[in-house]
Amino acid sequence: MNEEQTWILQAKNGSDEAFTYIVETYQTPVYNLCYRMLGQPEAAEDAAQETFLRAYQHLHRYDIKRPFATWLLSIAAHYCIDRLRKRKLPVFSVDEDEESTFEIPDAQAPHPEAETVHGEQREQIHTMIGSLDATDRAAIVMRYWYDFSEKEIADALNLTVSAVKSRLHRARKQLGKLWQESSTTAQVERSPYESPAF
Amino acid sequence: MNHRPFEDWLLEDQPLDPTQKRELNAHLRNCNACRAIAESNLALRSARVVSPAPGFSARWQERLVLARRAQRRKTLLGTLFFSLGGLLLLVLLAGPILVSLIGSPAEWISALVHVLLFLYTTTLAVSEAGSIILRVLPDFLPPFVWLVLLSTLSGLGLLWSVSIWRLMRRPQGATS
Repeated sequence: MNEEQTWILQAKNGSDEAFTYIVETYQTPVYNLCYRMLGQPEAAEDAAQETFLRAYQHLHRYDIKRPFATWLLSIAAHYCIDRLRKRKLPVFSVDEDEESTFEIPDAQAPHPEAETVHGEQREQIHTMIGSLDATDRAAIVMRYWYDFSEKEIADALNLTVSAVKSRLHRARKQLGKLWQESSTTAQVERSPYESPAF
Repeated sequence: MNHRPFEDWLLEDQPLDPTQKRELNAHLRNCNACRAIAESNLALRSARVVSPAPGFSARWQERLVLARRAQRRKTLLGTLFFSLGGLLLLVLLAGPILVSLIGSPAEWISALVHVLLFLYTTTLAVSEAGSIILRVLPDFLPPFVWLVLLSTLSGLGLLWSVSIWRLMRRPQGATS
């Protein structure tokens, strides 16, 4: 039995200290998933808190043989999917006041311009994810941010592996289309400032 | 090679051998749609992990305290509601007996006999009426109506049991 399982068992036996350790260990992955799913820091904070509360209340149902991260992120994903379905209109924004959301280009970096471009691309993809269906979004987040296999995503989202494959396929295609559209728009917007034609 | 296999490689995120990689790179130079998928895949891979604001676990503990308080209140209210409901039902059923207990023994015995007689005659009447209804009703009601009635009754019973269970259960660790 590894150290994490020991903490989980202690938490299962009612140790608050052990559960606090779990919260500290998993706060970033859970928050990140909620942020990528909901798109807003406040909503992500609330969803992450609620995820840990639900995990705490249902810890007796957790099967120690399964990976804890999958179980915990599954709770977070289902909660976020429910929240997104309850929201009539998708609210997805790139939040300016979240200090950790925006990446300030590193002036010491060898290519600060390239850093800025990468930062823009990251925010662009973050905004595009907001246009995906809630379950597709969860599958994409689990695949790219957590390196979950299709089987792990299927387990976490209660889907079949073929359904996960199909959702990832569809989501990638949609993201590609959006990426192409936004690149075209960016080129059109930039063109007036390009070098004058001779 | 045409566009289709390259798009499938990208959309299915398949591992490619060096020859396939070379072919794909050559295709990407000419195909905007595939390049967009490849670039968006790359942007997804380079996306970073966002952390919560400092003090997350302290805020969670505060939330846990509030949740425990709410759970205790819910359990207390549930218990109170069911206890008072049960008590009210008991008072309604045992009312006549209680009233007669307060009076004299003669009145008490007389009231007891009355109640017993009342219960006996009521039971007889109800069972007679029930047997008549059970004899007559099947001819009037088609089987699907019986099915609906029985399903509704079982559904209500189930709902009642689930409500009691949900009100009374104590979540893991929420006892302290």
